[in-house]
Amino acid sequence: MAELGTVTQALLAGGDDGVDAHAVAERICRACVTGLDVDGAVISILTATVSRETLWATDPTAELLEELQFTLNEGACMQAATTGTPVLIADLHHNSNTQRWPIFAAALAEQTDVRALFAFPLQWGTMNLGVLDLYRKTPGRLSTAQCRDAISASETGALMLLGVRTDPCHKDADGDGGGSWLDHAPSSRAEIHQATGIVLAQLGVSAAQALARMRGYAFVEQRLLIDVARDVVSRRLQFTEEMG
Amino acid sequence: MSPAESGREHLITRAFVSLADTLVDEYDVIDLLDRLVGYSVELLAADAAGIVLADARGRLRAVAASSEDAQLMELLQLQSDQGPCLDCVRSGSPVTVIDLTVPAAADRWPVFAAAVADSAAFRSVHALPLRLRGEAIGALNLFHRHPGPLPPVDLSLGQALADVATIGILSERAVRHGEILNEQLQAALNSRVIIEQAKGVLTQKGKLSMDSAFDRLRNYARSRNLRLSEVARQVVETDIADDVVATQVARTRRRR
Repeated sequence: MAELGTVTQALLAGGDDGVDAHAVAERICRACVTGLDVDGAVISILTATVSRETLWATDPTAELLEELQFTLNEGACMQAATTGTPVLIADLHHNSNTQRWPIFAAALAEQTDVRALFAFPLQWGTMNLGVLDLYRKTPGRLSTAQCRDAISASETGALMLLGVRTDPCHKDADGDGGGSWLDHAPSSRAEIHQATGIVLAQLGVSAAQALARMRGYAFVEQRLLIDVARDVVSRRLQFTEEMG
Repeated sequence: MSPAESGREHLITRAFVSLADTLVDEYDVIDLLDRLVGYSVELLAADAAGIVLADARGRLRAVAASSEDAQLMELLQLQSDQGPCLDCVRSGSPVTVIDLTVPAAADRWPVFAAAVADSAAFRSVHALPLRLRGEAIGALNLFHRHPGPLPPVDLSLGQALADVATIGILSERAVRHGEILNEQLQAALNSRVIIEQAKGVLTQKGKLSMDSAFDRLRNYARSRNLRLSEVARQVVETDIADDVVATQVARTRRRR
């Protein structure tokens, strides 16, 4: 079975230091360019209805990738964001790969020397927190190990960005157990997702807001998120509007 | 052939025909895996069954279970750290534990064996690999109330079901490269997150157990020919939860 890839390790080593979304994106992008066989990386928020924003780009070409997609309203990372599935294009000059976004592909060929493009959605359940785009100037696939590392890094990155969004204490970085939040095992526990659904229905809010409320409660009560989630699932704890 | 055997033969044929039908149209991997664990329980006289997949970080995550009760999910999830499933995925070979109460099992997997003993529901476990080119991408776990090995013919049948699961995960879209596997695995694992959230919403709105919340979700999807993961998404994001709660639940076909 797979060991942790270098990119994922680099992300986890940094821990969750309560920084903002731009800093998180910078860390993910830098780790990818260092650890994977790619030339540049960029993370954007691509939500169709709300604001579109590039959080971090390692270089002007990476930035242009996003600008083109925002302008043309199509492209690999938009596809990744809407489908929630990675889009891996080993060779952009093979047009069977680019049928879903012909104008973007043409613009890329004209304005950049990008040949390979890999887009990974930063996904948490129904919510897309952004897309990680990696590019290379030479064609070729990512190796299986690299692809695995990139997927695991984007999953970790999604949790980090979600952490920033739902952080109960903002910059108060005196170790609120952010490490345990990033630790993949508790965050993948079914109880956390079930409790998210329960609180979502109790308060009539979105999944992200429900999670934020549980994290806030866990922080104030100095308990682990997983324990709060278990109390919610077992009905020992109920969230109401009146609670803080 | 005894009548019992021909009855089973008939069930097996029906199961594979139905699975093949599922694979034809644009289908939902989670839905396929859910059907597969159902057939595993039916055909292999298991008391419970579950499928775990290895995520990009190599950890096992439960994606389908014959019953959505907390106990079974816990036993599946525990095996991310230790247990027959983990050993099966690491080795790519079946792992059989004919009696979990013997000291050898407790020595090998102390936490898992203790959890099984606590549950007092199961005595034996068979883990069959979801095989792909000499590697395992996950495992089908069969739990039985009674100790003892499965007959060889049942083991082969179980392995065939596990192979269908692998095929199903791979060919949701055309198989191009190994990288597709990672894409599909990731999509299946994420669908599972959404299903758990939807179960939470339904238990709250309908005052249901997790188990029956999942039954409503599944019945709603099947009776309308919708994808299970899509219905789950709508429960989380839109307001169909009340409709799903009101769904008639068909006679349960599963044993536990």
